[in-house]
Amino acid sequence: MTVQPPSAPTESLDAFRTRARAWLAAADIPEVPRDIDSRFATLRQWQKTLFEAGWVGIAWSKQAGGQGLSHLHHLVFVGELARAGAPQPIGLIGLEVVGPSIDRYGTDWQRHELLPRLLSGDDIWCQGFSEPNAGSDLASLRTRAVADGDEFLVSGQKIWTSWAHLSHWCALLVRTDTSVRKQAGISYLLVDMTSPGITTRPITQMTGDREFCEVFFDDVRVPRANLLGGVNEGWAIATHTLGSERAGATLRRRVECEVALDEALDHLRAARGSSSDDRATAAVGRAHVAMRVLDAQTRQTTARLVADTGPTPMDSVDKLLLTDVEQIVFAEIAALLGPLRAVPGARARGLLSQRWAYEHLYSRAASIYGGSSQIQRTIIAERLMGLPRG
Amino acid sequence: MAEPIDVGAEYGSAVDDYLTRAYDGDRCRALLSAGGWDAGLAAELAELGWHGLAVPERHGGLGAPLSSLGPVFTALGRHLAVGPMLENTLLPAVLHPHWTIAPALAAAVETGVPVALVDPGITDDRTADVGAMTLHDQRLSGAVEAVRFAGQASLLAVVAATEAGEVVCFVDPTTPGVRIDSVDSADPATAFARVALDDVRADGAAPADGGELVARIRSWARLLIACELSGVADHALDRTVTYIGQREQFGQPIGSFQAVKHIAADMYAQATGLRNLCTASLADATDASTADLAVLAWTAKAHAAEVAVRVCEDAVQLHGGMGFTTESDVSACYLRTLALRSWYGDATELQLRIGAALLDRV
Repeated sequence: MTVQPPSAPTESLDAFRTRARAWLAAADIPEVPRDIDSRFATLRQWQKTLFEAGWVGIAWSKQAGGQGLSHLHHLVFVGELARAGAPQPIGLIGLEVVGPSIDRYGTDWQRHELLPRLLSGDDIWCQGFSEPNAGSDLASLRTRAVADGDEFLVSGQKIWTSWAHLSHWCALLVRTDTSVRKQAGISYLLVDMTSPGITTRPITQMTGDREFCEVFFDDVRVPRANLLGGVNEGWAIATHTLGSERAGATLRRRVECEVALDEALDHLRAARGSSSDDRATAAVGRAHVAMRVLDAQTRQTTARLVADTGPTPMDSVDKLLLTDVEQIVFAEIAALLGPLRAVPGARARGLLSQRWAYEHLYSRAASIYGGSSQIQRTIIAERLMGLPRG
Repeated sequence: MAEPIDVGAEYGSAVDDYLTRAYDGDRCRALLSAGGWDAGLAAELAELGWHGLAVPERHGGLGAPLSSLGPVFTALGRHLAVGPMLENTLLPAVLHPHWTIAPALAAAVETGVPVALVDPGITDDRTADVGAMTLHDQRLSGAVEAVRFAGQASLLAVVAATEAGEVVCFVDPTTPGVRIDSVDSADPATAFARVALDDVRADGAAPADGGELVARIRSWARLLIACELSGVADHALDRTVTYIGQREQFGQPIGSFQAVKHIAADMYAQATGLRNLCTASLADATDASTADLAVLAWTAKAHAAEVAVRVCEDAVQLHGGMGFTTESDVSACYLRTLALRSWYGDATELQLRIGAALLDRV
C-alpha cells in the first residue's frame, strides 16, 4: 500500500482512540438480526455509516480512498468497536483480503472503479478460492478459465464462500494453464456476481448460520479487463495478500476473544453473588491464562506489523497459538452451561446458553479455516525448525 | 500496553555465554548427578557478581530491576544450572533493607553460601503435608518438609504466620532448637532439607506489613521459576530438533515423518508462547501493584508449569528409548521440570487462585 508523505503529521494513537471512543459513544450501534438477509442488510448499512464517518480503510492510503493511518490505528479501532459491542463492517473479505490486492496489483481502472464502492459497502465482495477438492491443497484448484477474445469463459465450483449469495463481486482463483506446475497456472479474476451462469447455494453451518455458500460457474463470461495482475500470476497475489492480512486477523480475533471473556466474567460475577463456585473459578483461571498467552504472543505480532516485516512463517506460530487459546477460552466458558447448553434460551451461572454455545462452536472452525492447524505445523517444522520435507 | 522489550536481555546473554563456555557438557552432566549442590559453582557464580544483579548499588550490587533477572533465569534453565540461584539473587535483593540484622544476606551475594527460604507457602494444596511455621513473642515454632538448600545455608529466612499476617524472620541455622535434616532430592539441580524449629528465637524480622513482603517474594519466585522453566523447555526443544534431524529409521531422518514433525512443531509453538509470556509478564511486573503482580506471577507460573512439562514429555517421546535414560539431556530436563512445576503452585492450583481473584474483582 502506498506510504503517505512524511510531511503529513500522524494522529497519535491515544488521540485517535479518544476520537473513536467518543464517536462510538454517540453512534447508533445496530442490533444484529439473526435472520441472514436482514443481518447482511444491517451490517452493510453499518459499514456505510462507518465509512462516511471515516472509520473504514483506516490503514489504507489516501489515494486508495482510505485514511492514510497505520495498522496500529486500525487495530485500535477494531478494539474500540469490540469494546463498544459494535459489529465489524460486513465487507471484511473486501477490506482485508481483496482490496489490498487490488490496490497493489490492480490496473488504474480496477482501482478507480472498484475500491471506492468496496470501502463504502456499496459493493460487498466474496472470496472464491477453496473448492470441494482444493482445501488445504488450494493450488490444486480446477475451476477453469479459457480465454475467448476479450473475455474469459469460466466453469467450475467453489465452496466455503462466505456471503456469496448476497455479494456483488467475487475474487476468483481460476486455472488458466494445466501444463505447468500447479501454482504457476492460476489466475486471479474479479467477477461481477450478477453475471449470467453463476448460481449460489447457501450451506447451513453447525452454528445455524447460513453465510457459507457453494458457488457454481457455468460458462460465465468475465471481461479480460477484470484480470488482476497477469495471466498465471494469481497464486502469488493470493498468497501474498492472505499472508499479509494474517497478522491483522490474529490481532482482531484476539480483541474479540478478550472482550468476550470480559463479558462472560461480568455475567459470572453478577450471578455468583457471594457464593463460591469452584467449577467457574477453575474455568476462569484457565481461560485467563490462555488469554494472557495470546496477549503476550500478539505483542510480537504487533511489533512485526509495525516493522512491516511482511508475511513470515512466525505467522503460523501465531495462528496455532490463537487457535489453541480461543478453543480453550470458549470450551471453558461453554462447559459452565452444563446441561442447559441444550436449551438455547436458558441461562446458566448468568451465561446465556445460545450465545456461549455459538462462540464455542465457532471456535472449532478456527483450527480449520485460514490454513488448518496441520498445515501450520508443517510450515513451522519445515520453515522455522528446518526439519526435512517428508 | 507495555513496550515489547526484553528487560535484562543483556544479562541473559552474558549468563548464556559464560555457561556455554564454562559449564555445558561434562561438567553440567556431572553436577546433575551430584545432589543438586556444588560449593565450587556457587562460589564461582558469586565471584562473577551474578548474585548482586538486583541488589542496590549502595550495597555493592548492580541495582538492576528484579525483572532483569528473568532472562538470567531463562539462561540458567537453558543450561540446566545447578544450585541456589533463586535464593541467592532474589532474597538479598528483596530483603536488602534488612542486611544489617541479617549480614548473611550480603555474604550470600559475595560468597555464594546460600540463604534458604523456609516457606510453608510453596503450595496451597494439602498444606498440612508441607508443614507450618508460626511466630509468637519473637519465637518460631513449626516444620517445613522441603526447603531448598537449607543444609548448605548460612541463614534461614523463615516465613511465619502471625496474627497480623505472614512475616519474614531471620534465623541462624546454628541456633539451639533449629534442626535441619538433609533429605534425598529427586530434582537434579536442587538439594533439599527438612527444617524444624522448636521455640527458636528469631534473630530479627521484617516489620509486619500485612503479608506484602511475603507476597512479593512469592510473586517474584514464581516469575523467575516460570522463566527458568521456559529455558528448560527451550533446551529440551533444541535437543529434540537436533536429534530428530539426525536419527534415521526406515532410511530417512525421523524428523521427516509427519507424525514426528507435528509433535515437534507443537513443542516449538508452545515453547515460543511460553517465552513470550515470560517476556510480557516481566515487562508488566515492573510497575504492577502487589495484587496485580500476584496475578501476573500466578499466570506465568501456571502456564510455565503446564507447557514445560508437556514439551519435555514430547522431547522424551521423540528421543525414544534414549530419552528414558540419564544419558540424554532431555531426561534431566524432564526431572527438573517436574520438580519446578509444583514449586509455588502448578497450573491447577494457580488457576483456582487466578479465577478467584478475577471473580472477586469488581
